[in-house]
Amino acid sequence: MTCSAPRLLLQHLTRNVQGLNATLSVAGYKSAVSLDKIYPASDLDVTKLQTPPKTDGLNFSGYVPMNKVQVTYSRSNGPGGQNVNKINTKVDLRLQVTTADWLSPELKERIAKKYKSSITADGFLVVRSDKTRSQQLNLADAMDKLRHMIHTAAYVPPPPSAEDEERARRRHEASVRERLRQKKAHSLLKQGRQIPQWDE
Amino acid sequence: MSLKLSYTPLCMGKLQMMIDTNRLRCDVPVDVTQLMATGLFSISPQQKEGGFMLENEGIDHFKATINIEVQWANEAVIASVERNGGFITTAYFDPLSLTAAIKPVEFFGRGIAIPRRMLPPQHLIDYYSDPKNRGYLADPAEVARERFLLAQKYGYELPDVNASPNKDILLERKDPRQIFFGLEPGWVVNLKDKVILKPTDPELKEHFAS
Repeated sequence: MTCSAPRLLLQHLTRNVQGLNATLSVAGYKSAVSLDKIYPASDLDVTKLQTPPKTDGLNFSGYVPMNKVQVTYSRSNGPGGQNVNKINTKVDLRLQVTTADWLSPELKERIAKKYKSSITADGFLVVRSDKTRSQQLNLADAMDKLRHMIHTAAYVPPPPSAEDEERARRRHEASVRERLRQKKAHSLLKQGRQIPQWDE
Repeated sequence: MSLKLSYTPLCMGKLQMMIDTNRLRCDVPVDVTQLMATGLFSISPQQKEGGFMLENEGIDHFKATINIEVQWANEAVIASVERNGGFITTAYFDPLSLTAAIKPVEFFGRGIAIPRRMLPPQHLIDYYSDPKNRGYLADPAEVARERFLLAQKYGYELPDVNASPNKDILLERKDPRQIFFGLEPGWVVNLKDKVILKPTDPELKEHFAS
């Protein structure tokens, strides 16, 4: 492979960048707009370990530990020629509901009840996605679906207020009155078609 | 007169191919200079081109662990880099700095001091200060949180950097005023004599450190 002089110099420069990095990270060039000056209160640690938010009771935090979830890939259906025939873009996400210790027992019960049709005989909650052409985006969609399922299972509608109950009672009584009124009107109509009976 | 910049698209598939064919090294931090050194792209800052933007095509096949600095990246691309244990930063280069960065040998041949990189204009500063975009002006602690949230959103476990043998390379970052890795603003690089001239005058030093 032929290399011109500027290319050789550039290669020399790029090859030696690693050495220069080592010396500079010791020296540490800091301008007036370096990150420690923009964010003086921060520890500026991009590798800081994040504590995942916990789920207690029916408050699902949104955190799903990926080591407790089984993901398998397969080929999608539909048109797409060679690409759809060869590339595994369909995502199958499985979650063992009974052994999920990161969910509370009451939440697990509600999921098992609400999504009975999505749970296999072995107790795995199955979520599938082949929405896009990309495996990565399909996995994101499957995660979204899973979170939606858990959130909707956790949702308990608020109890009806006194006003709502009063309104429901008045509406029920109004409908009963109307039903009886119609029934009486219909009865009179039918009676009117009879030959009148005159008792002498 | 529009201030809007255009960016050279670079697909993840192409990036993976360049790494696989040894066109691009991923054992050093990759930035505009490294990408231009492959010889596959041309950027003209005078035509209001801002640099590189990473595109979605090929995110599923991207396997390299890389520390990359580009000018624009969307969420799926960021997820693709981070799930393989890499780091991605979006950084702004003003036209003068970009001219120096894309052709360093030519720039050093002019014999002038390396300039300070200017901060982004008003319509771009929000983008580069946002940890969601992995902006170079964002708080790294918030970037750490966003990395965790993105891993949860896209369904992968974030690999531990501390266990990686390339930890120093992956965590290498430029100062916001720096154009080249390993070179400070104010230095004059003499490639012919293989010498770097640094300013000694306190006023000059103050200027280049501002």
